[in-house]
Amino acid sequence: MSTRKTINRFATIGGICTAVALAATGCGAGGPSVTGSAGTSTVNVLVEAGGHAELTGVAEQCKKDAGINVNFVELPYDGMFNRLSSEFSSGNVSFDVAALDSVWLPSFKDAVQPIDEIFTDEAKKDIFPALVKEANVDGHFIGLPAWTNAEIILYRKDLFEDAKNKADFQAKYGYELAAPTTWQQYKDISEFFTRDGMYGTDVKGAVETEWLAHVLQAGSPMILDENNKVVIDNAAHKEALDFYVSLTKSAPSGAAQVDWAAAQNLFNQGKTAMTRFWAHAYRQIPKDSPVAGKVGAAPMIAGSAGVAGVPGPWYLTVPKATKNTDAAKKFVKCAYDHNSMGIESSLGLASRISAFEKYQDKEGYESFGPLIETLNGKATATRPATEKWQQIVDTVLVPMLQKAVAGGDSATLLADAKKQIEDLLK
Amino acid sequence: MRVAERTKNDGGKAAPVVAGPSVPTTTRSSGRKRRGVNREGLEAGRRSTRALLWVLLAAAMVLYGFPFLYLLFTSFKTPIDTIAVPPTILPREWTLENYTNALGRSGVLASFINSVQTAIISTVLSLVLAVPAAYGITRYKTLSGRIFIMAALVTRMVPPVAIGIPLASMMAAVGLSDTPIALSIAHTTISLPLSIWLMSSFFEAVPKDLEEAATVDGCSRLGALWRVVIPVVSGGIAVTAIFAFLASWNEFLFALLMTAIRSQTTPVVIANFQTQFGLDWGSMTALAAVYSIPVILLTLLLQRKIVAGMTLGAVKG
Repeated sequence: MSTRKTINRFATIGGICTAVALAATGCGAGGPSVTGSAGTSTVNVLVEAGGHAELTGVAEQCKKDAGINVNFVELPYDGMFNRLSSEFSSGNVSFDVAALDSVWLPSFKDAVQPIDEIFTDEAKKDIFPALVKEANVDGHFIGLPAWTNAEIILYRKDLFEDAKNKADFQAKYGYELAAPTTWQQYKDISEFFTRDGMYGTDVKGAVETEWLAHVLQAGSPMILDENNKVVIDNAAHKEALDFYVSLTKSAPSGAAQVDWAAAQNLFNQGKTAMTRFWAHAYRQIPKDSPVAGKVGAAPMIAGSAGVAGVPGPWYLTVPKATKNTDAAKKFVKCAYDHNSMGIESSLGLASRISAFEKYQDKEGYESFGPLIETLNGKATATRPATEKWQQIVDTVLVPMLQKAVAGGDSATLLADAKKQIEDLLK
Repeated sequence: MRVAERTKNDGGKAAPVVAGPSVPTTTRSSGRKRRGVNREGLEAGRRSTRALLWVLLAAAMVLYGFPFLYLLFTSFKTPIDTIAVPPTILPREWTLENYTNALGRSGVLASFINSVQTAIISTVLSLVLAVPAAYGITRYKTLSGRIFIMAALVTRMVPPVAIGIPLASMMAAVGLSDTPIALSIAHTTISLPLSIWLMSSFFEAVPKDLEEAATVDGCSRLGALWRVVIPVVSGGIAVTAIFAFLASWNEFLFALLMTAIRSQTTPVVIANFQTQFGLDWGSMTALAAVYSIPVILLTLLLQRKIVAGMTLGAVKG
């Protein structure tokens, strides 16, 4: 046998042995344990990758205060629902706490434990009313809002303060150029700045939340009323859709494909003068962006029913299947007690009113005032509590919006959507 | 083009040749000239065909290579450059910031180790199971063998998500949750059918006479397989190993469903750069670029074996 062959065989056998040895240990390189066993003070927290930073400070504080070690399991948003479904349905969970998007609460309400003890009267006063309502399912609080968000208005302060722009705007529209407080003003300003390769605003055809905020502002519940009757074809929905589509004249073409990421890019690149966007984006403008330091924030604009936004909270929940309930609940309590620590993270959000108020006057947190106002808005409401919500969004609302911004007839589209939603809910 | 007239000098026996309209046809020297011109014409034709092939090859390479090159260039862009509207191909300003961000993120190194571990175990499992299975199917040619190989294909027709969730539950039930071995077994379900089919075609190409000769020389059937057949199909084994390794290395869905703290692999970590609150495009491309290096190296290392394997499968009968 030649030397080369011998070496090859040894290498092959060595490789196999190494692999077998590694397999036999059953270990990965990521950490020591899969799930906290009964009574341990280590909790595994399943969290969407973007929210991880929000809880890092809390975890450190929780270790100091309650002696609880926290392991984070980060997953991408798109795969998290599948993972949760898989583990909850198997009854064998690899985590002790899960951060759930608000739209998933109805789907997993039977798989998580009540945490009523955290929702004291004092706590309920310090959490935005819409969130207190959403967290309560069938008479029990099942999730603690860890952080929340809502769309506000972001605008180019430098353009709005420019003397020539001010004079030209005054001459054309007969009132002063300033952050819009009515939708007519928003429309005028959008039209004014649509020139020289720039656009006044964006229109997002690939996401539904923004249109739903207009529906709330027009005075209707979103899609379903309190009796779960489909109301998508009522006058408020049509008014909201017609207004939404009317802005396409002052927005970049291809609105049907514009989603959150595209709209954020357009604004950060200086291509749009205004955007309706989630408040966290204010603090996430890249330092090398042409608009860095030139952005102002304003509350979401009121419609006939008042100011309204659709909150985007994430809730900390404790699965029924965890063997580590005590430590998990202690961690959730820590997250409530030290909620403001999330504001110092890269995402920069919290859920308690007092946490936002503590920071709203500080430099760099100018978006918090408008965010508080929007979340406290008279007509602000969370999305309908139905397990089919994501399906309704993906298969009905987004395709309908895409057809609408491409020129479809709003009344016909809404009527079709009503039928499709009714079929889904049957 | 037209067929030239036959000349008197060749007695009219020469085969008709293709010539241009201006080529003289009456003397020996002009015949030589004509053949020379023809050769030049053929040579020129060959050159232009070759040039055309090179152009097509270059176009195909650009088509395949551009996405990777774009990813590579993006990994060196500044944050605002990565999301430029309209996009730029080359960075306006080169930076390594994305690499420091991506590699400095907690869990990245561990995920790399997990990916290597999982891919090696899965590759070994695939080969250990596929080689004897394929050998048995091709040598014994039984009805059950034919049914088995068709059934193996059926598993490829099921969408991975349909088996991912039950598989994750089964692994949890046997206490293998969040371990590389569980993920490797899951990945083997993807690569095994393909490995069996590939190895079957390679074994088909090995003449039975070789084994019979080995048997005459005193080898048992297993001895003939180990000493004669396996070395002959080593190129095919290399090709199969590469496919099995890649299937595991790049797999995302099972890794998403079955891993948590201990065994999360790099594809999941790469996906984590896209969050509900934004896309860290620069860091994502940087980590993806780094992650592709081992596979490129492995392919280069096994290049000769792969080429040999490809041609082996093509020689039959």
